[in-house]
Amino acid sequence: MAEVLLEGQNLTKHYPVTKGLLQKTVGWVRAIDGISFTVEQGRTLSLVGESGAGKTTTAKMILLLEKLTSGKILYKGEDLSKFSAARIKSQYRPNVQSVQQNPWSSMNPRMRVRDIVGEPLVVNTKMTKQEIREKVLEILDDVGLKAEHASLYPHEFSGGQRQRIAVARALALNPNMVVLDEPVSALDVSIRAQIMNLLKDLQEQHNLSYLVIAHNLATVRYMSHTVAIMYLGEIVEYGEAEEIFQNPLHPYTKALISASVLVLPEDETEEIQQIILKGEMPSPLNPPPGCRFHTRCNEASAQCSEAVPEMRRVKENHQVKCHHYV
Amino acid sequence: MSRTILQVEDLHTSFYTRAGEVKAVDGVSFHVDEKETFGLVGESACGKTVTGLSLLRLLPEPAGRIVGGKIILNGRNILELSKKEMRAVRGKEISMILQDPMTSLNPVYTVGNQIAESIKLHQGLRDEKVTDEVISALRLLKIPAPESRIRDYPFQMSGGMRQRVVGAIAMSCRPNLLIADEPTTALDATIQAQYIALFQDIQRTTNVGILFITHDFGVVAKMCHRVGVMYAGRIVETATTSKIFKDPRHPYTVALINSVPRLEEKNKRLFSIEGQPPSLLNLPPGCRFAARCDKVMDKCREQQPPEVDIGDGHLVSCWKVK
Repeated sequence: MAEVLLEGQNLTKHYPVTKGLLQKTVGWVRAIDGISFTVEQGRTLSLVGESGAGKTTTAKMILLLEKLTSGKILYKGEDLSKFSAARIKSQYRPNVQSVQQNPWSSMNPRMRVRDIVGEPLVVNTKMTKQEIREKVLEILDDVGLKAEHASLYPHEFSGGQRQRIAVARALALNPNMVVLDEPVSALDVSIRAQIMNLLKDLQEQHNLSYLVIAHNLATVRYMSHTVAIMYLGEIVEYGEAEEIFQNPLHPYTKALISASVLVLPEDETEEIQQIILKGEMPSPLNPPPGCRFHTRCNEASAQCSEAVPEMRRVKENHQVKCHHYV
Repeated sequence: MSRTILQVEDLHTSFYTRAGEVKAVDGVSFHVDEKETFGLVGESACGKTVTGLSLLRLLPEPAGRIVGGKIILNGRNILELSKKEMRAVRGKEISMILQDPMTSLNPVYTVGNQIAESIKLHQGLRDEKVTDEVISALRLLKIPAPESRIRDYPFQMSGGMRQRVVGAIAMSCRPNLLIADEPTTALDATIQAQYIALFQDIQRTTNVGILFITHDFGVVAKMCHRVGVMYAGRIVETATTSKIFKDPRHPYTVALINSVPRLEEKNKRLFSIEGQPPSLLNLPPGCRFAARCDKVMDKCREQQPPEVDIGDGHLVSCWKVK
């Protein structure tokens, strides 16, 4: 088993809803409600779910862009809340980098590639200009870009190449971990494959840990070692990727897989059967009682609307939060 | 045999820019039958959307122009219609669903108001009759409690519901042909599955022919009867959906299908197509895919391959295919 790099313990994020002149708090948006996960060195954890499930909020908490309401983040076994600001800056931030979804908006259009990729080095290291220049060329080579690209601007690149620049920037400081927020969803199909292959190669070369956020299950299966399926601020199923895909237990996971599987029609008249969920995800402002998924679940029973199910370990590498699997 | 609603023959659409003529659609032919969904698949900038806009004659003029070909809708060439006659066709015989329901609805009108617009224009109805039609359009799209929903504004609805409203506007006058331009791309996976199932139902009850524009092969497999694969302004292969997946002949189709990660497969290395599509400003003289093709021959770089019918309406444009 690989070494645990980062661990989330019972993370919660509630946003206040305020009203009136005095901004009195009238309710809470329960964006994240008690989730736990571990990221191992050199491996990939994927958070999967639909919009509003809390994937990006989780990523922001890990990148320390959002404060936790409660819970703990452990980095190499140490509680991050005990880190001093200086230690966060010198030890945590350089080691936990991110790549954003949209390569059209994540880069300053007025900076050259050389400066975009070199900026983390200027901020975080005492390298000389010459050293930075050399390091940038080395990283660009790693992500499959050429030296002459260094003096160009972002608009001169295609989407796939821009995402390579974004990856290069994230790797500039030799981080332990990269948070990839929908790294390929803005790209074309043929380009997606190039970037996913690149990310996997880089992971092997540098022993990187990835936290991947995605809504496309096929992407997730290709990239991940561990998968967490999220629904309305909770992790409903968690485990080893192969196990989850071979043997999904939670009705939501089953529906998601059914919606993503590429089934080929045998002939023109056949229609493909798949699980269609009723309704939509409820508001996190007022989540349903009992199991949060029961309003849309095809297998819901009376108990589901009353009691909150607990996360249970059904196998060594598989946990599920559902009353039907005890 | 069902009736052919739309027949597109050798359509050419160009944009005239300062840099020169951009041949966005360059000789595209296909047809859509009643009750049929024809998928137009391809990557960004291959001309899918411009094809859709050309059918509605909604190109951004004067830069964009249809420079050749025929668009035969219900037996007549709509390229010969006057602007006024074309307005009577749009929304009535042919309508469109756009990708993003967040931007294709007007935020300051109620959804009832927006659906009523085309009903009033094309059917000449008034007052209560309009409301009845609006409610029946919402019902067709299975929007719960349509009587109260017509007074809602778009911001009061979720993305999936908004896309249903867009569908209700498009279907309000029961058109023969619906152009759906990536209608499910902005939706979540489970909502996308609902939307596709809904349109299969609507097609059964209304006989509408659908031109489905998408980049997602998963959606194609679920929704489309026949598919045309587009690359750099041309359709390189047309076949039934099952043939496209089981027996793809054009190297681009093969590569595109192989580069889609499959859920059911173990994580082996993905196939990827190297390079980028050619610039539409400066197209190569031969096959457009030649520069990225792994089976390229000298002939491919010199001459454009003709479209060959290899049986049962399976059309391929490739020199390797006899």
